[in-house]
Amino acid sequence: MKPRETPLLPVEDAREAALFFVVGALCFLAALATLSAKSTYGAARSWTAEVEGELTVSLPDVDRRAAEEARKLIAETDGVREARLLSKEEIDELLEPSFGSRGLPESLPLPQLVAVRADPLAQFVGPNIERRLTEAGYVSAVDEHAEWAGDVRRVLGIARLVALIAVALLASTAVAVIAFATHAALLTRRDIVDVLHLAGARDKFIASLFERRFWLLGLRAGSVGALMSLGAAAAMILAARSSGARSGLLPELSLDFYDLLILVLTPLIAGLAARFAARITVVRSLKSMM
Amino acid sequence: MTLSRLDLFDDVAVRLDGVSLRYDTSEDILSGIDLVLKPGSFSFLTGASGAGKTSLLKLLYLALKPSMGEVSLFGRPTSRLTRDQLSALRRRVGVVFQEFRLLDHLTAYENVALPLRVLGRKEASYRSDVQELLAWVGLGERMHARPPTLSGGEQQRVAIARAVVTQPDILIADEPTGNVDPEMGSRLMRLFLELNKRRGTTVIIATHDLGLVRQVQAPVYRLQHGLLVQDAEYSDGTAVAGRRRTDPVKTK
Repeated sequence: MKPRETPLLPVEDAREAALFFVVGALCFLAALATLSAKSTYGAARSWTAEVEGELTVSLPDVDRRAAEEARKLIAETDGVREARLLSKEEIDELLEPSFGSRGLPESLPLPQLVAVRADPLAQFVGPNIERRLTEAGYVSAVDEHAEWAGDVRRVLGIARLVALIAVALLASTAVAVIAFATHAALLTRRDIVDVLHLAGARDKFIASLFERRFWLLGLRAGSVGALMSLGAAAAMILAARSSGARSGLLPELSLDFYDLLILVLTPLIAGLAARFAARITVVRSLKSMM
Repeated sequence: MTLSRLDLFDDVAVRLDGVSLRYDTSEDILSGIDLVLKPGSFSFLTGASGAGKTSLLKLLYLALKPSMGEVSLFGRPTSRLTRDQLSALRRRVGVVFQEFRLLDHLTAYENVALPLRVLGRKEASYRSDVQELLAWVGLGERMHARPPTLSGGEQQRVAIARAVVTQPDILIADEPTGNVDPEMGSRLMRLFLELNKRRGTTVIIATHDLGLVRQVQAPVYRLQHGLLVQDAEYSDGTAVAGRRRTDPVKTK
């Protein structure tokens, strides 16, 4: 009768179930944090680009017709995508926080305002507009919203940094916990390491048994974590879409190729971390023996 | 450097030169021991509990490094070998541990076959040998039982079968008959003698069992206060030429 061969390492027990849960949960959090960080990064980039492309040109002492001529000159300047002359109502609306809702006296001289949307990558758009208007005989002031854009850049920079730190912390915690838990699990298998070592097994042979076991455990647990984060991300996207315009403040929510790549890489990284931790632990343990 | 069976023809199977052993900062467990075991020799190691028998055997089966001195197997000083070379040497040494060291999740059959799996042998190539060996030690009917369900004596027989399954060049046994009845003890001794005579296996047995010692004409080494002495008589009472009743074996 052919006896069935049992693996040299015992099949998974309660300890490994606990490790599976911990690795799975950490992979879920790490993948979700990475997806969020990527989304924040993308949103920040688009917001910054928008802010940096906005200019306002103020034209004092000109009537509406002259302002329209100036708008045409502005629209023809290199790097300008759109130039729009603001209506009297729009200007009143802008001044309402300072002068109240009853409107401004007709006698009060107000400048004509042109809202400009420029290519964020184009350089010196403001000075070029100003130079062109001066050459045409206009007196103008160009506000590039530098202070506001600087504030927005700073806030978004902090948001990006926080997102990156969160990902780095979660990923390193995941790796550290996997290594720690793997080490603890291996200590309980010290008897097997001893027996194999004294039977003449090479370090590589013994390490490979543990590496394979923990690679598979990390891979499976990481897959569960990644699938859970995919589910969570999908739920958030559905919730954001169903809220329509009210979700405007949320970062851009979608799943693209890179998001899926993050989800595919999560279990691979977890598996490799577990495998590496197992190798280091077993080799270190063996080095303490003769 | 490769280690082949041709090394059997080295003049010395085991050599200890000025070997001392101490754990941490304690006193020497073993002190300045010199010992030479020729290939194909059969010897006993005796001594009171705590005399250091197990520690000396651990040095021989390469589980411990000496604090001082050199342990050589088949003419190779072990302190100069790489880890892979040490593993290769261990494969030529069968060990019966006092505490058996069986793996609970493996069956008796799988425990015995473990050194063969380490060697990379296919199951089909050793199945009948392992079954035969288990039948020989009286466990033919229990080969699929796991160690926790076996008695102490049965576990000891599995441990012995595991130690001899690769037909090692050196067999080291620490109290190999401590948990078996006298009849089984005699059978196991016959197995050790057969390995020694037919294959030229160098056998060293640590034991308290004087009845076992008297069954064979073999030198008896005794550990006393960390020193190794050789009795002037063989285990069967015949005189060892040129020795006093108890003679230190080149101890320092």
